[in-house]
This record gives sequence, C-alpha cells and structure tokens, in this order.
Amino acid sequence: MAVPKLKNKSQTKETSNLKGTLASVLILGIILIIVWVSIYFIFVNRLG
Amino acid sequence: MHMHKFEKVWLIFGTVALLVFLTVLGVSAFYLGNQPPSCLVTIDPEKVEVTAPFNAPGLYEVTGKDWDYELVFVASAFSYSPAKVEIPKGSTVKVIATSKDVIHGFEIAGTNVNMMLEPGFVSEYTTRFNNEGENLIICNEYCGVGHHMMSSRIEVVSK
Ligand SMILES: [Cu+2]
Repeated sequence: MAVPKLKNKSQTKETSNLKGTLASVLILGIILIIVWVSIYFIFVNRLG
Repeated sequence: MHMHKFEKVWLIFGTVALLVFLTVLGVSAFYLGNQPPSCLVTIDPEKVEVTAPFNAPGLYEVTGKDWDYELVFVASAFSYSPAKVEIPKGSTVKVIATSKDVIHGFEIAGTNVNMMLEPGFVSEYTTRFNNEGENLIICNEYCGVGHHMMSSRIEVVSK
C-alpha cells in the first residue's frame, strides 16, 4: 500500500527554500517605504 | 506552531512599518492638531448665497487672528467665485469654501491645498503664499460636463 508514504514526503518538503520570497517581500517593502517617505517630504516642504 | 525564520523576518518588518506609519498619523492628528479640511462646520446648501460669508466671496483682511486674510470661495457647476483674486506675497490666508450644488474639488496646483467642497459642508485650509506669480485653482472631483473648464486663479503680488 502506498498511502502511508504520502505523509513522510510532505514532512520533508516543509523546509522549503524561501530566500527568493524573502527578497521579493523586502524589495516590495522598501519600495513602499521610499515612495511613502518621498511623498511625505514633498508635503512637509510645501508646508512653509 | 512552527514558523520559518524568514517568515518571522517579514512579519516583524511589516508590523514595524505599520507602527511607524500609524505613529506619524497619530502625532499629526493628536499632537499637531491636523484635521480634515471639512470638519463639522455645516451650511444649508440651498441658502449659500444669503449666508455670510458666502454671500460675498472674495479676499478679506482680518485682524487679531492667526491669519492675515480670509479668502471666501463658492464653487458651483462649473465655476468658482471669485474667478480671480490678488493676494499680497508672504501673507497667511485662510481659505473658506463651500459648494452650491454638487461635490467639487479645490486644488491649488503645486501646493498642499487640496480639499473637497461638499454641499452642506464648509471646507477650510490655512496656508501661506510665499512665491510671487500665478497659482491655478482646479476642480479635481468630477462634477459634470463642464468639469474640465472649471478653474480660478490666485495672483500673488509683491506688497
Ligand atoms: Cu469638477
């Protein structure tokens, strides 16, 4: 019977490589922060 | 619960970013006292023409206030009253505006002055005009067929 083997396979897959995911999440986050800070500075400069 | 190390990294990153943004917003609202341009001041939109100060739109010099002038604007489809106004350079002006009919926008291009004029509500924004020259006021809320022709001008002149 092949059924019991399925469980083993899914457990070894658990430690998948997430480097690319981390990089893309951080890049997206940094872009959002840069845009937000730039717009905030435009707003502050125009307050004068 | 098992969590991947990277997953913790971006959850912390996201949470910290959110907290920073909310702190900036909180300081601006509760410490600096910023409020939306339309803040609880109401008016009968049918009676704008007979309600002061909107019965006589224009620029008025005031004394004993934090600002030097009050600039009263009435927006209606598809124009602003006054159509053009002159303001002395360096003066602090409180713009007081409302709409007679539908929702209009009030944006002084290239400045922070950007508000909605809603029928029934009075919008206000205090600002300073430091640069000589012409400022364009445009409607940035679609209000009907003449929307793109709706504009006014503020000429900043040296005293
Ligand atoms: Cu419009």
